[in-house]
Amino acid sequence: MAYFRDADEVYRYIGKLFEDLADDEELAPKFRKANTIVQYQYREPESTITVKLIEGEDGQVDCGETNLEPEVVMSMEADTAHKFWLGKVNVTVALARGQMKARGPVAKILKLVPLTKPIFPRYRAMLEEADRRDLLEAA
Amino acid sequence: MEWSGAGPNDDRAALLPDDTADPNARQMAGFKSFFQYASPTRVIAGRDLLGSTGFEFQKEGAHRVILVTDQVIRGTGLVDKVEAGLTDGGLELAGVFDDVPQDSSTEVVDRCAEAAKEAGADSFLAVGGGSVMDTAKVADAIFSHGGTAREQEGFFLMPREDDGMGRPLDIAPLACIPTTAGTGSEVSMAAVIKDPEEKVKLEVADFPLFPRLAILDPESTRTLPPRVAAATGMDAMTHAIESYVCLEWNPHQDGRALQALRLIRDNLERAVETPEDDDARGNMLVAASIAIAIELGSVHAMSHPAGAQFGVPHGVANAIHLPHVIRFNAVGGADIANRYRDIADVFDLDGAEALADHVSVVVEHLGLPTRLSQVGVPEEGIPALVEGAMGDGTTLLNPREPSEEDYAELYRKAL
Repeated sequence: MAYFRDADEVYRYIGKLFEDLADDEELAPKFRKANTIVQYQYREPESTITVKLIEGEDGQVDCGETNLEPEVVMSMEADTAHKFWLGKVNVTVALARGQMKARGPVAKILKLVPLTKPIFPRYRAMLEEADRRDLLEAA
Repeated sequence: MEWSGAGPNDDRAALLPDDTADPNARQMAGFKSFFQYASPTRVIAGRDLLGSTGFEFQKEGAHRVILVTDQVIRGTGLVDKVEAGLTDGGLELAGVFDDVPQDSSTEVVDRCAEAAKEAGADSFLAVGGGSVMDTAKVADAIFSHGGTAREQEGFFLMPREDDGMGRPLDIAPLACIPTTAGTGSEVSMAAVIKDPEEKVKLEVADFPLFPRLAILDPESTRTLPPRVAAATGMDAMTHAIESYVCLEWNPHQDGRALQALRLIRDNLERAVETPEDDDARGNMLVAASIAIAIELGSVHAMSHPAGAQFGVPHGVANAIHLPHVIRFNAVGGADIANRYRDIADVFDLDGAEALADHVSVVVEHLGLPTRLSQVGVPEEGIPALVEGAMGDGTTLLNPREPSEEDYAELYRKAL
């Protein structure tokens, strides 16, 4: 059974994490160096988050429909995304096993991977604050 | 009876997976938490094999073959020998596509796929170096499944059964006859193609891109200029060393890497200094084909932008960067240094520092440049190189995590 009940739950937690990152004065400029628009297409439940990471421009995070044109598309189960943000997924292994699929100039996204490590505790804290021990324990 | 697992006082406890283990933690020894290995290409190696190209390729399902090559190779007469070998074996030559440049592009790949369709081909034969083989691979994917070269970019994205989750769909039979001993593309599932509009190199990797057949015959490198033999040989050495020390090392590749290094130790300088030495050239072809892996490290991360931004030949860039990255990595932990020690043992050397020194001596002896400034890289180019290296996928696989400052320092040392 999937960790998230529906797309709204995905947006409430993973979407919120992206939105917080877009507003983070320290981390956001580093992520925007990627100079790309990346779309995360999740399965089970079907959900889509599109993130604009363009240097010198404001961040934008669209949960669901978007008018942004993604350059990189990452697809995976929402469970995999959840585990990634808990620090429980090795991206290179997940790509090799097909648990994550990446289309487009993947290098632009791969260089962000080391930057994500400090964010894992934030995601965990967000779930704790929301009293979602079920999500913490499920992964 | 159901086994309940090991208890706290059970010696087996240490052997069981730890659910709390960090999947991103460095693991340089022991039984790995995960690895994947595949090497499905049938390799035939030996003398006078070009004449049996058709005989061998028909076993892989080929009937009407488009031969992909470049004009330099065609000018050496090698292609004529291969063509004769194809038809002698009962295969038809549907056409020859010899427009592949030194750094192939998306436009060339699209044209190659179109040429194969127009010629009514059912299979591809690449005769050339990395650029030719990678062109044939991606053109074959387009020929088989449609689309454009640009649309092939990505890892493990080729069409699959069962809504994309099952077995990858085959592409048309592909055979490779490498004319350099370095790239290893003849047995790998990866291809790199330049996108001239975006000024980037597109990486494509998936299981169907493993060629079905590789023919390693020293005749195919007989006319290789010594400088190219040296540079491509250093590329092979770098593949072997980086695949052995990267985070995605695995025991299958370990065996190949160490044997490749033995062959390189014994044959690289011979092949460069005495090009008429068939044994040395043949052994270098074998070394290159067993050294290759797609899991590499910071040497490649540094060399890719040096090639893309300043046109530094890939093997030359690897030769320049390799000693500096060895020193950088080896002080990252005893576990990393131990793996370099294994490699140093192959050369009868004592540890990573001696290995780095030895690599520098070999590079100099081969007559290759030892500094980036010798190949047109200016100091003011370093920031852009650092950005390129940080964004290269192989950085993630380097055993010691490099920062931007680390890369800047490594480039300065290499300058």
